[in-house]
Amino acid sequence: MFDMLMLGLNDALRLDTFIWIGGGLLLGMLVGALPGFTTSMGMSVLVPISFLVGDPLIGIPFLIGVYKGGIYGGSVPAILISMPGTGASIATVLDGYALTKKGQSRKALEMSLFSSGLSDFFSDIFTLVMIIPVATVVLGFGPPEIAAVMFLSLVIIAVTSAGPAVKGLIMLGLGIWVGFVGADPFSAMARYTFGTTELYDGFHLIPILIGLFALPEIFNAVKEGDTRGKRISTFVGERLRLQELKSSFRTILRSTMIGTGIGIVPGLGQPIAAMMGYIAAKNASKYPEKFGKGELDGVAAAESANNAVNGPTMVPLLTLGIPGDSVTALLLGAFMMQGLRPGPTLLESSGNVVFAILIAMIFANVLFVIIGYLAIPLFARVVTIKKSLLIPVTIMLAFAGTYLARSNPFDIITLISFGLIGIAARAAKFDVAPMVMGFILGRELEYAFGQTLALAGDNWIHFAFGERLGMTAILLATPLVGAILGFRMNRFRKRSLDSDRK
Amino acid sequence: MAKFPADVVFVIGALVLAVLGLLFGGWLIVDPPILLSRDILAMNPRVFPTLVLFFILLVALIFLATESRKGSLAGNILKESSPQSPLALYRQFGFVGLTVGCALLLTTLGFLATMFLLMAGTSLLVGNRSSLQIFAISLVTPLSFYMIVTYMLRTQLPEADIVERTLAMIINALNT
Repeated sequence: MFDMLMLGLNDALRLDTFIWIGGGLLLGMLVGALPGFTTSMGMSVLVPISFLVGDPLIGIPFLIGVYKGGIYGGSVPAILISMPGTGASIATVLDGYALTKKGQSRKALEMSLFSSGLSDFFSDIFTLVMIIPVATVVLGFGPPEIAAVMFLSLVIIAVTSAGPAVKGLIMLGLGIWVGFVGADPFSAMARYTFGTTELYDGFHLIPILIGLFALPEIFNAVKEGDTRGKRISTFVGERLRLQELKSSFRTILRSTMIGTGIGIVPGLGQPIAAMMGYIAAKNASKYPEKFGKGELDGVAAAESANNAVNGPTMVPLLTLGIPGDSVTALLLGAFMMQGLRPGPTLLESSGNVVFAILIAMIFANVLFVIIGYLAIPLFARVVTIKKSLLIPVTIMLAFAGTYLARSNPFDIITLISFGLIGIAARAAKFDVAPMVMGFILGRELEYAFGQTLALAGDNWIHFAFGERLGMTAILLATPLVGAILGFRMNRFRKRSLDSDRK
Repeated sequence: MAKFPADVVFVIGALVLAVLGLLFGGWLIVDPPILLSRDILAMNPRVFPTLVLFFILLVALIFLATESRKGSLAGNILKESSPQSPLALYRQFGFVGLTVGCALLLTTLGFLATMFLLMAGTSLLVGNRSSLQIFAISLVTPLSFYMIVTYMLRTQLPEADIVERTLAMIINALNT
C-alpha cells in the first residue's frame, strides 16, 4: 500500500491536474454563490465534462474542486443576503448576515474562507490516513459482509434523509426497483424492459442524476420567475485580523472533528454537521448570548464543520462503493465513467490513482484559499446576477451533458422522465437522494445477496451464526441503528428549528 | 372538491406501481431457461424485485395508515398556504412541454436549433423580455459549446448535416 501512496504522490503533482482543480474550485464557488443553485445541480451538469477530459487524474479532481468550492460558495449569499446558497450554509446565515448588517461582511466572508480552508485541509489529511486501515479491513469482506454493510448504509441514508424516515424508505425502495430495469445480473434475462432493446442495459446513471437533481431546481427557478439577488451593502468592512482567526482556532478544530465524524457516516451530510458544529460552539462559548448577533466564532463553527465533511465522505465511497450523500453519488458516477469501480478492490487495482486524487485534494486546499481570497469581491457581485440569464445556460448544459455521456438519444428521454419524477418528489416533499442511492447500490446489493444465498446453501443457521458472524451482527444492528438515528434526527431537526426561531 | 396532500398522492402512486409490479411480475420479468432440469442460478431474477416491491407496499401502507390517523385521508380539504398564480402554472406547464418537445426534437432538428428553441423558450418563461439578450444567449452559448465539444474534445453532438458542413467550412477557412 505504501508504494501505491508514493506512486500516487508522484502522479498527483501535475500542473494540468492543478489547473483543472483551480477551474473546478472557481466554478464550484460561483455555483454555490448563486442563490437557488446547489452544489448537486452544478456537479450533475459538470460530471459529463469530467468524463470528456478522459484522464481520471484531471476529471475527478476537477469535480472535487467543484464540490469543495460549492460548499464554501454557498456561504457567500448566506452572509451577504441571508439566503443560503446551499443547504450546508443554513447555520452560516445566523451570524454571517448579522455581521453584514453591522457592516462587517468582508470579515465574515474571510472568516468563512479561512475556516473552510483549514477544516478542509485537516479533514483531507484524516481521510488519507484513515483510508488505508479501512481498506485493509474491507479487503477481508466477502459477499455476505458487503451485502450487510450495503443494507446498513441504505437504511442509514433513508432514515437520515430530509423529512420523515418513511418517506426516505419509500424513495429508497423506488430507487432500488428502478435499478432492476435491464438484464438480471445472474441469468442476464430481461426485467421490466417491455421488450425494448434500449432498456436492456438499464438506465444510465448520468441522466438519472441530472434529471433528479438539476431539472427540479431549474423547474423551481422557472416557477418563481426572474429574480435578482438583493442589492447588497457591497463587500465592506475591515479585513479579518490574524488574532481573530487565532482566537477561533479551537472552534475550527472542534467543528472539524464534528464534521469529519459526520462525513464518515453515509447519509448525514453538511447541513447536520454545520448545525451541530454551531450548537457545539455556542454551548462551549463563554458568551453564548453573542451567537446569532454577529459572532465570528459562529461563522467559523458552521463553515469549518460543513467543509470538514467533504473529505471523509470519500472513505465509504472509495472503500465500500457507498456514496454518503448526493454529491458523492455524483462522484461515484464520475469514477465509474472513468473506468474505476469504487469498492473493496479499488485500492488494490488502482491504488496509485486513488492516492493521487486524495493527495491532490489536500494540495487543492491551498488553491482553495488563494482563489477564494482573490475572488471574494467577484462572488459578492455574482449573488445579484439575474436568473433569467443563468437558467437557460443550465438547461442547455443538462441536455448536452446527458447526451455526451453515451451519445444515446434515449438518455434524453430518461433525463426528462426522471426530471418529472424529481419535480413530483419535490412537490410532495420527498428527498430524491435515497432514490439515487437505491438505484446505485440496489443492483450491487442484489448481486451480493445472491452470492450470499449461493454460499449459504441449505444450512442457513450454521452459515449465519457459525461462519459469518460479522454479517449477522451488522444485520441485527441495522434496525437498531436505523431507529436510533431516525429518533436522533427528528430531535435534532426540532432543536435546529427552535434555534432558528430564537 | 376534496384534495389529498401532495405526499399522500405521491405515496398512492408508489403503492399502485408496487401492486402493478407484483401483479404483472410474471409478464415483466423473463424466466431463465432451466437446462437439464436443474436450476443452477444463485437466485431467480424475480426474488429480489418481489422483496423490494413488498417492502415498498408495506412502507407505503404504513405511511398511509399514519396519515389516515392524522386525518389527511378523510377527504379534508387541503388549505394551500400560498395558492399558485395562473402565471406560475402557465410557466410550469410551458417548461414541461418545452423540455419534452425539445427532447423529442433533438436528433431531428440537431443540437443548435433545438438548444436555441429550448434556451429562448426558457428565457421567456423565466421572465426575460429583452429580445437581444435572449437571442444572444440562445445562439452564442450553444454554438460555443458545440465548437468546444466537437473541435477541442473531439466528441459528437447530434447535428443536421448542412449545419455540420457549414461549420466545418468556416473552421477550415479560419484555419487556413
